[in-house]
Amino acid sequence: MKKTNAGKKYAIFFCQQIDKNQDVNRRSIEKEFGPQIRFFPIPCSGRIEPLHLMRAIESGADKVYVVTCPEGACRYREGNIRARKRLLYTQNLIEEIGLERGMLELIRLKAGNNYTVDKLTRELLG
Amino acid sequence: MITAVRKPMEEIRGMIAPFKKILIVGCGTCVAECASGGEKEVGLLASALRIDAKNRKREIEIKEMTIDRQCVYEFIDQLTGIIENYEAVLSLGCGAGVQALAEIFPVAKIFPALNTTFIGQTKEPGLWIENCRACGDCKLGDFAAICPVTRCSKSLFNGPCGGSKDGNCEVDPELPCAWNLIITRLEEKGELGRLEKIYEPVDWSKMGKGPRKIMREDQSI
Repeated sequence: MKKTNAGKKYAIFFCQQIDKNQDVNRRSIEKEFGPQIRFFPIPCSGRIEPLHLMRAIESGADKVYVVTCPEGACRYREGNIRARKRLLYTQNLIEEIGLERGMLELIRLKAGNNYTVDKLTRELLG
Repeated sequence: MITAVRKPMEEIRGMIAPFKKILIVGCGTCVAECASGGEKEVGLLASALRIDAKNRKREIEIKEMTIDRQCVYEFIDQLTGIIENYEAVLSLGCGAGVQALAEIFPVAKIFPALNTTFIGQTKEPGLWIENCRACGDCKLGDFAAICPVTRCSKSLFNGPCGGSKDGNCEVDPELPCAWNLIITRLEEKGELGRLEKIYEPVDWSKMGKGPRKIMREDQSI
């Protein structure tokens, strides 16, 4: 198992629309990184709920990413906007219990790029 | 609908600090509609308290339950045999729900996790507005179903005050002028004549002294 930065655990929620081969690409990087990384493919980032993010932290994630398609490019129109609002709500909640807001991070992809989940993960984890 | 908002986590944490076994009880009616005390919010609060306890190296056991109505005995009774196993109960019901729980389980240590706010309406997703003061002397039939007591910043019964601008209130420019709404709707209905009448002030005596009650023989058993 390859170690990620400082052996941290990561949870990555991502919109399935960003990578047509997400299933294959996700599995390949899952094998590489092992249990330090957990992927949560969702049909649209607008499906994300604060409870999902809290459960990820509760399950031991040191960092939670929510990856959305570019604003204005959501297949379901406004999903990525809702994801941002819910992430902000959850950031406020975790701040109230003394955690860093930065534990939760929104990654809004840039328009016009072809992203794959494996490459994106490597970028995120440095 | 009765609306409420969650108390700050610090206050909630303070209330449950002496206890290790906690039952969080949500209510599936009004406070679920206003996204403060339903099943999701119970889960969210439980999760936040568990994470907080872990970070403070505190042991805590939390059970989550949501009943359909926290202000009606038949639903509260679902907690019988469960509530006794917990040192404290955090209620995500409105003030009426918290008190009803405490009345049925007088020995249990019950704490409110919400601040009950007002009677209102879901205006749009994420927006709830107050539209009823429960004055006990409803005149909505005269005012095109727009309550001037609640929705006019000056609670005028014989408006408008003349201070509205572009249809908004002079006290709070973000707020639509209730009297502008009343007049516009009465005009659309062809009932503007209703405003020829001078309305007497609200009969606040109907609020009664102390807590109000409704008694109906036909509903009693």
